Amino acid sequence: MTQQPYDKPLPQRLPENEEFFAGLEAGEFRVPKCNNCGYWHWIPYPACRNCLSTDQTWTATSGKGKIFSYTVVHRGPGGFRDDVPYVLAMVEFPEGPRNPIVLGTVVDVDPDAVHTGMPVKVVYEEIPDENVTIWHFAPDN
Amino acid sequence: MSFPQRKAAIVGVYNTKQARMLEGTPWTLALEAIQGALDDAGLKHSDIDGLSSMMYDASLTAQQMWVEQLGGRPMTYTSHGIAGALVTKAAAAIAAGLTNVVCIYFGNAGMRAGPSKQRASQEAAPVVRKAPRVPDWDFNIHGAYMSAWYALWTRRYMDQFNAPYENLAEYPVLARYHATLNPASIMGERGEITVQDVIDSPMISSPLHRLDCSLDNDGGYAILVASAEVAKNCRKAPVWVLGGGEGIYTDFYMSFTNDWINDNGQSVRRASDIAFAGAGVTRDDIDVTGMYDCFPVTMARNIEEMGFCKVGEGHEFIKEGHLKLGGKLPTNTDGGLLSHSHCGNPSGMHVVEVVKQLRGECDARQVKDAKIGAVLSQGYAVHGVAGVSILAKD
Repeated sequence: MTQQPYDKPLPQRLPENEEFFAGLEAGEFRVPKCNNCGYWHWIPYPACRNCLSTDQTWTATSGKGKIFSYTVVHRGPGGFRDDVPYVLAMVEFPEGPRNPIVLGTVVDVDPDAVHTGMPVKVVYEEIPDENVTIWHFAPDN
Repeated sequence: MSFPQRKAAIVGVYNTKQARMLEGTPWTLALEAIQGALDDAGLKHSDIDGLSSMMYDASLTAQQMWVEQLGGRPMTYTSHGIAGALVTKAAAAIAAGLTNVVCIYFGNAGMRAGPSKQRASQEAAPVVRKAPRVPDWDFNIHGAYMSAWYALWTRRYMDQFNAPYENLAEYPVLARYHATLNPASIMGERGEITVQDVIDSPMISSPLHRLDCSLDNDGGYAILVASAEVAKNCRKAPVWVLGGGEGIYTDFYMSFTNDWINDNGQSVRRASDIAFAGAGVTRDDIDVTGMYDCFPVTMARNIEEMGFCKVGEGHEFIKEGHLKLGGKLPTNTDGGLLSHSHCGNPSGMHVVEVVKQLRGECDARQVKDAKIGAVLSQGYAVHGVAGVSILAKD
């Protein structure tokens, strides 16, 4: 898919999120879980957004969820311009009570088949010549 | 808690020409707008002693430079944010004796907000075909941008409430109709459109078509809020600030949770409830409104969160034509962000239009006997940043 140099925006991979990016490389989608109240959080904040505890642990999620909403993009920005049409989705994870909702593209799918509630799983893409792995979603059959 | 009513009024408003690729800079367009608003009010630049910037990044330095530009006397009040909230807070500051004349100003030239922005920056530097590094959770890593983000909201809203796309597509039709009655609008001269025209326009990010999306153009505007003492000597009749409120949250990706649409509401609900309570008026008292309308779903959620209809019924409210001139809640009579102008940070223009309505200056699009108006400024998605002002003429 990426023959030419990857020219889409990539995360900086900040030190405070190292556990997350290491997780992607290990095939895990980790989010901060609060050791005080048990909430799972996405996106990550330095303190729990429920109880404000800073005692959180990067914890692997199931990596599975259901599509909360989606769009088929027909006009893509920058490096995405040649990928159209592509599917962008918000995916709700089962880890509650404040279920993480994670944004990502849905790959290996017929755009016309995508629907709200569709089961998907996280898939990983290692970016050549860059120090980061990113995530997408794919149908979870 | 009641708002200090009729202690401050909007005494001057001005929109510069709104168009794609205007001559000038953000500074010169804001300056032209300030000069226009001063002339509208019959005030001098040296009367201004409070400044509220609509710039996205209103650094203290930039505010200080504007203080110098406007005559180099210390300002006693500054603020930053979105227009409905800035009008309200200016009125509160005036009532508290902090300031007498507050100038709310904005200008934008040569900025593009849509996907063409990233595209243009890449084409400007074609040699650097390398992945730019962005903050770790930035949505553009995934190919999202503003229209795609609102497309996600729109889809969720449609699925949650069984809202037909065609109902939402009535909003661009209505906005265009209003624009045809506003000679200053960008799209008015292209004439009216139908729901079928919206459906037939190119798909941007499903379900949003091009005609569902805001314009992306240059322009400036300014609004002057003054004390009752100053207002009585101004050129035009005062438009009083009866009440208002602000709500700051965001359901942009950086703070999104699954609790998106619920009966408790978010920023817009909070700001609206404070505004109506403080103003001592009801939703039924409102004759005309200006509401931030970047996409049809925004408008559907606006009227739900402001309490003009129930949650989930906004699309039907639009379909039934209540927002149209002659309807029970005429809204965005200038054509709004889809057909009048979206100049980058356009929320002040909703204030300008409601002020003109309350003054009776709207000619073909005038709402008959408009006495009380409401403005909702908004941003960062439908529950994000909210500012409400309730305005009235004598």
